Amino acid sequence: MHIMEGFLPGPWWQIWFIISAPFVIYGMFQLRRLFEERREALPLLAVAGAFVFVLSSLKLPSVTGSCSHPTGTGLGAILFGPFITSVLGLIVLLYQALFLAHGGLTTLGANVFSMGIAGPLVAFGIYRLGTKAGVNTFVTVFLAAALADLATYIVTSVQLAVAFPAEAGGIFASLAAFGTVFAITQIPLAIIEGLIIALIFKYIIAVRPDLLVRLEVLSQNSVNKIREALA
Amino acid sequence: MENILDDFAHQNALRHVDARLKLVLGIGAIIISVSSASPAAPLCIAATMACITIILAKIPAGLYLRLLAIPFGFAATSGIVLVLLTGGGAHLWEATVLGCSLSVTAASVNLGLLAVARTFGGMCSLYFIALTTPMVSLFAVMQTLRLPREFIDLSMLVYRFIFVLIGEAIAIQNAQEMRHGYTGFKRSVRSCSMLGAMLFIRSWEKGEDLLRAMDSRCYDGRLELPRTDTRLSLRGAACVAAYLAACTLILIVTADIQVI
Repeated sequence: MHIMEGFLPGPWWQIWFIISAPFVIYGMFQLRRLFEERREALPLLAVAGAFVFVLSSLKLPSVTGSCSHPTGTGLGAILFGPFITSVLGLIVLLYQALFLAHGGLTTLGANVFSMGIAGPLVAFGIYRLGTKAGVNTFVTVFLAAALADLATYIVTSVQLAVAFPAEAGGIFASLAAFGTVFAITQIPLAIIEGLIIALIFKYIIAVRPDLLVRLEVLSQNSVNKIREALA
Repeated sequence: MENILDDFAHQNALRHVDARLKLVLGIGAIIISVSSASPAAPLCIAATMACITIILAKIPAGLYLRLLAIPFGFAATSGIVLVLLTGGGAHLWEATVLGCSLSVTAASVNLGLLAVARTFGGMCSLYFIALTTPMVSLFAVMQTLRLPREFIDLSMLVYRFIFVLIGEAIAIQNAQEMRHGYTGFKRSVRSCSMLGAMLFIRSWEKGEDLLRAMDSRCYDGRLELPRTDTRLSLRGAACVAAYLAACTLILIVTADIQVI
């Protein structure tokens, strides 16, 4: 859900820049520390950013017939944590605006908040909770990716609603309206993205589980357990 | 995803104009169209920016029209929501659907048109930046703006790898399609996730290769960009200033004009 260039009026586009800034700045500090500790992190994060970009420009099989794209940041958050994903999200959204005309420059702040901050935070939280509670890994990944998508879509609706409150009922009425209009495409999309990310996880575990262990996404024990269950 | 605007930016006729000038022009126009109170200024900006991009930068008009279809879907749906939701002024049409009262009023039509006009003004200016300024020259601008090194290095490497991975993704997708991987919904989901997983594994391996390549060239945590010092042409700067001043003037003069 990208908000197009020019759609958000002042002062809202400035406000979303200000809200997003602390997350991205904290992410930058984390990035700097990471690069100092482990110099191999830079090339690996770079390919991860490119991966998120390409993943989010893939056309998804869609039910409603409209062309839809995954956000990809849910997977990023599970793999690298929410703050670094927010920096990657900023870079990816900038490229999406400049290469694919998805989103824009003044709406970058709002889009970074919905797709690079809110979505990843939800995905990361659910993944952590699920692993701690011992829920099946694929169910956890599915929930994390699907709910991250939904969070992104809800935040986008809120951003549009506060900028354009309805005459009768104010912000809540327009939130309901924007919410229903986008729900038609976004809820099926969230489910499909959840399925796809969970399957991606399955294939990665089947082929290169060592990558997930090194990123500390899964422990060696749980990888062994999952592979036994899959075999 | 085969149509990346950056490809056109490398061949456009304004390629060698100073990137700072093009950025100031594009961003200035975006800000003017976002802050406009009537649809006149954004529509002027959309029209002039389209002319500049097609005539001066020699971007194919057919491609440009296809690009304009991208914002159209979003602008149309959100515009309709705005028209139905907001109110004020004379009522033109009213209905109650599922307990929600929907009304079309003069003020809501104006607001809807204004939002759509701003979107087109903004998108045309964004296309101007995207189609005339290759990313490579933006990195140099980022460096002069003193953005954090880590951020610029990361952006440059992400940029490089987007093209590598898109190539891989297209190759895999073609192979899948030739084997009927996208016939039927279930099979498409399966193919799509296989593609994603292979992409992740391949990109990881590429990252490790890159690390080895950088190590063997004495990488010490800094990527250096060759500095290209271009001097601002006075004529260019004057043209940009004149254009932005004219747009601001239109913005002020037309502030009270409403469609209905």
